[in-house]
Parts: sequence; structure tokens; C-alpha cells
Amino acid sequence: MSNGAIVGQSLPLVDGVEKVTGRGVYGVDVRAAGMLFARILRSPCAHARILHIDASAAEKIPGVHAVVTCNDLPDRRVGLALKDEYVLARDKVRYIGEAVAAVAAVDLDTADEALKAIRVEYEEITPVFDAREALREDAPRIHEELAHYQQSSYLTRFIRPIPDSNVASHIKLRKGDIAAGFRLADVVLEDTFYCPRIHHCYMEPHAVLAQYTPDKITVWSNGQRPFDIRTYMADLFGLPMSKVRVINTMIGGGFGGKITAKLEPIAVALSRKSQRPVKLVLTRQEEFQGFGGAHSAWVKIKSGATSDGKLTAREMEVTWDAGAYADLGVSVALLAGVVGASGPYRIPNLKLDSYLVYTNKVNPTALRGMGMQQVAWAVESQTDLLAEKLGMDPVEFRMRNALEEGDRSATGEILESVSVRECLKKVADAMQWGKRPKAANQGRAICVWHKFSAAATTSSAAIKINADGSVTLLTGSSEIGQGSKTVLSQIAAEELGVSLEEVSVISGDTDATPFDHGSFSSRVTHHTGNAVRFAALDAKSQLLNLAAEMMQPMEVTAEALELKGHRVFVRALPETGLPLAEVALAAQLRGKPVLGKGSFRGQGSHRLDPETGQSSEPAASEWIYIAQGAEIEVDPETGVIRVLKLVGAYDCGKAINPLAVRGQILGGVMMGVGLSLYEEMTYEDGQIVNPTFMDYLIPTAAEAPPIEVMLVENPHPLGPYGAKGVGEASIVLIPCAIGNAFYNATGVRIRELPLSPDRVLEGLGAKGQASSR
Amino acid sequence: MIKKELQLRVNGGLFKLEVFPSTVLLDVLRDELGLTGTKRGCETGYCGCCTVLLGGKAIHSCSILAFRAKDHEILTIEGLEKDGKLHPLQKAFMDRGASQCGYCSPGMILSGKALLDSNPNPSEAEVRRALSGNLCRCTGYLPIIEAVLSVAQEGGRP
Repeated sequence: MSNGAIVGQSLPLVDGVEKVTGRGVYGVDVRAAGMLFARILRSPCAHARILHIDASAAEKIPGVHAVVTCNDLPDRRVGLALKDEYVLARDKVRYIGEAVAAVAAVDLDTADEALKAIRVEYEEITPVFDAREALREDAPRIHEELAHYQQSSYLTRFIRPIPDSNVASHIKLRKGDIAAGFRLADVVLEDTFYCPRIHHCYMEPHAVLAQYTPDKITVWSNGQRPFDIRTYMADLFGLPMSKVRVINTMIGGGFGGKITAKLEPIAVALSRKSQRPVKLVLTRQEEFQGFGGAHSAWVKIKSGATSDGKLTAREMEVTWDAGAYADLGVSVALLAGVVGASGPYRIPNLKLDSYLVYTNKVNPTALRGMGMQQVAWAVESQTDLLAEKLGMDPVEFRMRNALEEGDRSATGEILESVSVRECLKKVADAMQWGKRPKAANQGRAICVWHKFSAAATTSSAAIKINADGSVTLLTGSSEIGQGSKTVLSQIAAEELGVSLEEVSVISGDTDATPFDHGSFSSRVTHHTGNAVRFAALDAKSQLLNLAAEMMQPMEVTAEALELKGHRVFVRALPETGLPLAEVALAAQLRGKPVLGKGSFRGQGSHRLDPETGQSSEPAASEWIYIAQGAEIEVDPETGVIRVLKLVGAYDCGKAINPLAVRGQILGGVMMGVGLSLYEEMTYEDGQIVNPTFMDYLIPTAAEAPPIEVMLVENPHPLGPYGAKGVGEASIVLIPCAIGNAFYNATGVRIRELPLSPDRVLEGLGAKGQASSR
Repeated sequence: MIKKELQLRVNGGLFKLEVFPSTVLLDVLRDELGLTGTKRGCETGYCGCCTVLLGGKAIHSCSILAFRAKDHEILTIEGLEKDGKLHPLQKAFMDRGASQCGYCSPGMILSGKALLDSNPNPSEAEVRRALSGNLCRCTGYLPIIEAVLSVAQEGGRP
């Protein structure tokens, strides 16, 4: 698709100056006159009944303005999907680090002193930390009342708890005849893979400023879904939505970790009690204790293929560690555990079971990739094993089974804008696959996958044309660093014939901006982009109609007019026209100020048949496809894997800002490198033992390998200019691509991440022993 | 503990403050001087979001007592623009996509400046080493490395 004057251009971020000068006001920076500082008291027990809480001594400490416990909040469970959690623990605690009470004081030292003065009496209960153990019949029950929990109706989700168990959700898919499929196969492989928890490690911690007055709750938040937070606060504190205002500050990274509003209700409760604004910012250690990163997963996978390399059947059982609360794990279990689990392949017979299992650890949540990297690690590792068993080139094996345009997905959706083969071919060509010799201890691999934005989410946008023709864009989406303000401004500028500098964006303010489901699921460019484009077209139509009126007595209709380069003109007579500013001013003077509105709802739904997982509707708003190549070198002495190069092809439909798209992809790839080689949230008896950047290592500039990004632009019929959401996909294939390249180098298959020097040496040692026998 | 008088030289200005001896430089910059461009990302001196230049050297301001900074010139991100013009590194960060969420950018830019001031023509390996005390989760580092190298190649010292 050809580029416009502004759409398709690599332009710097519209909020870039605020970022590079330090002038931007982030969640940690926002202040209010008279504000207090808050701290949270966290549970030292992994599983215990709360017998008694006594905050009276803490309340008496000079400088302490409020202490809140569960008794300062309604006796109601909350949750983004399954309502299984209290804002502050009531009756029971279910993980070490669970919030039990909170303090607001004149400064943090005083607040810390007050925390020590709160007496909580616990009676410990046997905990369970491993999801596979929690599935056992005799495992302690973490949620005794699971069967009675309500589900949130806010965003359509599909949740299937198993009563009297630790299973928060069990989603199934049955397609074809699985037994017959395996009978047709000449080769059948069974494997189990494990992917650990990794943390988001957004550089800015969660930060909230809350101001409660009898008239209004105002919350400044660095959360990714301000309208969600408003709904939640209005519901919890019993106010109309118009009396709750959630304002996004600048946001120092999210990656899915700033969707769940754990802090906001606590800060509001403290503000209500103290009658002062309250600021609550987490420490890095609390980020690791209070937010559980991504879901670790055990994936059992069995696949069959014929000797000519056709997949006949795949059976998968994915066990996700939900931690203590379901949160967005229900979406991970559905979307990654079933909808996308089997990969971008034609497989006639499928049997998929996805279990979201409670344990006594802090709950993980959405994290870039939304579970796909966990299942891709298993599927794409086994794909290489199958190809080897069949004596077939692994790229050729993938090509033979790749989904094509018009094929059906696992849930029965007819797929469009499919580019599996194109992506594979691009990477194979770039790597000169099969044509280059490789040195000792070096290995290469190519993997392929798909990713999608959640179905049935909504965005809306408004555009005001000011009297000088400049543009004010209102969007409820959140700028979390992905460049949404820039991309949305580019769309508005393109359609309205103005420069990017003339567009100003207000984003993520529930009183000022129209509704948007928010920034998650790689959805903003596709969904909000459409809404902004429609709003711009609406504004443009109003301008053109007025211009036609102004050009009388000349007989010209709005349809015959064009808006470009700050001018409205007759398409057939480009010299005949009016400056945009003249039309915009007239609009105001004639009492017809231009206010354009637009909205977009992503297609489909997540309501699958509970037994078969099939659906008559799409289960995704739009699918994207990626292929990822990796070249690595292993040092057999130290066990260190060095990534020589990562090269990938990513189908974004249309790159509205190629610089920003590349940036999203690079960031995802590097998070994938961390997951592959370094990162794991490590627990001992439910206590995280690496809750600092000293112990939990993420990649630095010193480790960043060369990354080649190739964009594929296979337009989606519903996308703005064909765009599809590409923000998350690039993390997904890094572990399996590196893992397969390691196997290619050494013949050693490691089935648990990360591929740390210990595991590598252990694997190499085991192979050495086996071959010397 | 009682507050003591402290004079700090920050971004070319002299500031007279009353500060507890235990207060770290980061808190003085942010809370006393309102220079919130310097960010806190951890408490252990590992993320680099709080990087400032102390006598031209990049340091983690969360890990040094404010009183230890009293005899040195301190430069924060707010002191980098000259006459309303962005420093070449700030411009390069924008042009190369080296800022996404922007939270690490002030620290990254100052680490880059400390390097280029002492080594105007660094190798890529030297750039990587100089930036390895600053974490970023958005960019994958490559655009940041490219930005610093591009300023070096253009001889873009202020």
C-alpha cells in the first residue's frame, strides 16, 4: 500500500520532547497540594486465615492521617474477570506480599513506622505453590467459594471454573477425530516443556495520586486502561461514573502489567479517610512481590505427522500457574491456551485443554505476548523435533503445514490477510537458509507463529477543528510508550490535510475523552486508529459541506471537494477553493463548530462452544503472522549462549510509522532474549528470592544482539490503511528460535527456560556422558 | 536527626538547602529542587533511571548522599538544553526512536553525554559499555546505541 504524506512516514514521537528533556510528568512525578504518602502492609504468610487486625497503635502515631483495612472498603470481591479478590485481604491471605492494610502519612518514613505498628494475627494453612500439585484431588483449596464467585460483565470473557478444585478456568477445544488423526500419523512425538514467570520490568513503578472529595473522585494513574479503572472505582465506591475521573499521567512502560488497578482503590480509600490527596508509589521490590509478571506454564504436547510431512493431529494440555487470583489469567488460558495454541498450521484434528490453576503465589497478569511465548516454546520446539524425525528441512516442514488465506483457525474462524509462508520465506532468504556453512558450536533456526488482538473491543475518538484549522484529537487510549499519540496524530493529520505539528492529542482522561477499552492486546493502532480515522472523516465531511455552502453561488457539492494541504478545493478545478482556516473560522462564526466523532468495534467474540471450542464468530479482531530466525554460538566451557543474530519478518498490515513499528518489534525481541537466556522469577516456599534488579537480570546494552527487522505489509480489510496490531508478537518466538538454534548447534534439547549456563552445561554434560558410554 | 545546611551547584545555579545528612541526592533533586526529570526506578542503584552527571561523571543519584555532592558541578537532564535548543543527543534520541516510554531517557542521555565528553569517538563496544548501567525495557537498546553513535559521528558535542 502506498504511503500518504504523513501516514507511512517514520516521524519522531509527538511527545518526544517531553521525554528527552525530562519535562514529562509521569505517575511518580504528579503532586497535589497537601498530599500524603502511602505505604502498603503486605502479608508475610503464603496461605493463612486472618484472625484479627489491630491498627489502633498505628493510627496514634503523629503524622499518620489514615490507616485502612478491609473494613474501610465494601465487603465485596473484585476482579477484572472472575471476582475472586478483595482490595485489601479479608478473612484469608493467599500469597506472600498480598495487601492487608495501608497507611497515609505526612512522609514515607512515618508511613513505614506505622506499618510496623499494625498488628495482624494469622493462622497458617497448608499452602500449595506448584500448579501441577494444586491440580491434585487432595491439594489444599485456595478458594473454597470458587463455585459462587461472580463474573465481571464489563468485557466479554469466557471463564469455566471447576467447582471444589483449584481450577479457576478450564477451556477445551475438540476438532475432528483426535484418535483417527494419530492413527494416520507415521511419526508421533510427545514432549513436555516449561516456561517460567518473567516480570514486566516497566521502568516506572505503579504510581497513583488519588483525591477524594464528597463530590468527586479524581485519580491520576499510570494504568493502561483508564475507563476500566473508572468503572471499577464507580462501582466500588458507589458513585455515578460522571463522579469519577481517571487521568492518565505519562506512563513509563506497561507491557500488560499496568492493566489491573491494584493500587487505585487503596489510594482512594486512604484519601476518603484522611480527606487529603494521597500518593502511592511502589518500590521495585514491591513490584516483584505485588505483581506476578507472566504466567508460567507446563505444556504437554503430542503431535503426529505423515511421512510426507503433513500434520495429522495435535493434543495439548497447558497448565498455567494463576497464582492466588485469576485476574487476566482467564484471558491467557483462553487466548493462548486454546484459540492460538496449536500454531499457524493446518491441523485437521485437535484436542486442547487449558487449565488456569490457583497457587499460593502472587498472581501474574497480562504480559506482552499474552501467553503465546509459553505455548510457542513448546509447539515450535516440537516442530523442529518432528522435522528431524521425518528427515525433513524444518522450514520446508513448516511451509507444508502453513495456514493459507481462507483457511479456518482452530476455533473455526475463516482467516484473512494470512502471511505465514511469506514471513517464513523472507526470513529463510535473509538467512540464506541451507546455503551457508556454519562453524563449530554454532546453530541456526527459523520458527513461525501467529498473534491476534482480542475480539469485540471498542474504541471511539473525537476530533475538534479549531478556528485556525488546527486539530485537537481526543482519545481514551493510553500512551504507554508504544507511540499511540504519534500514530493517531498521523492518521488525523493525513485525513485532514494538516501537518503533524498542528495536531494536539488529549489521551486517557475519562472526563475529557470518549470511551476506549484501552491500551492492551496490541489493539490501539487497529481499533483506535480506525476510530480516529472515522472521526477525522466525519470532521472533514462537516468542513466540506460548509465549504460548499460558502462557495455559493458556485454550484458545487461536498462530494466534489477535496481537503489537502490546508485547503478545501474543487477536485476537478484544484485552483478553485478556500483556505482550511477560512472554513474553520466560518464554522465557528456560523454556529457550526466542527466536532467529528468516530468509533470502531473489533470483530468477533470470545464465546466459544464450551465442549468443542468452536465458534460461529471470529475469536480474534485481527490475526498477524511472524517468522523469526536465530543464529547462536555456544561456549561449551562456560555454557554461555551468545546470540549472533536475530532476523525476523513481521506482518503489520501497514506500518503507519515504520520507526515506531521497528521500535515495538525491537523491544519485544529483547524481552524475548531475556526470557530465553536470563529471566525467571524464582520462589522458595512462596517467597520471591530475586525481587531486585541485582538478582533479577534483564538484558542491558552490553548484551543486545544484532536484530534485523523486516516488515511485511499484507493489509487487513478492516484495518486503518490495512494496519494490524504488531506491538506484542515479536517476543513470542525468541525462546523457541534460540532453543532450536541451540539444538542445531549441539544436538541437546533443553525443555525448560531460561537457557542459563547451568542448564546448558548440564545438558552438554548429559550428552557427553551418554556418548562416552 | 537534624537538617543541615547544604549548598549544591546544579545546572549552573547555586542552591542553598536544609537537608538531612542521610538524604540521597536523588531525593534532593526531585523533592527539594523539583527536578523530576531525574527518575527513580529501583532502590538498589541498578536501573540507572536516576543517572546525573557529577563533575562530568555519570553516577546513580539514588546511591550517593546529597552531602557527598557538595563540591561538584551537578548536571541533570533539565540542564542539557542550551538557549531553548535540544542537545544533539536529545535530538538524536527523538530522530532514531531511542525513546519509547521515555522513563529511562534522561539517564540514558546523560550516560551518553558522559561518554562523549570524555571519548568523542567511541567504538560501538565502548558505547554499549557506557550504557550498560542504564536499563531500558522498551527499545531493545539498539536505537539508543545508534543515537549515541550518530552524535559521535557528527562530532555533535555542544
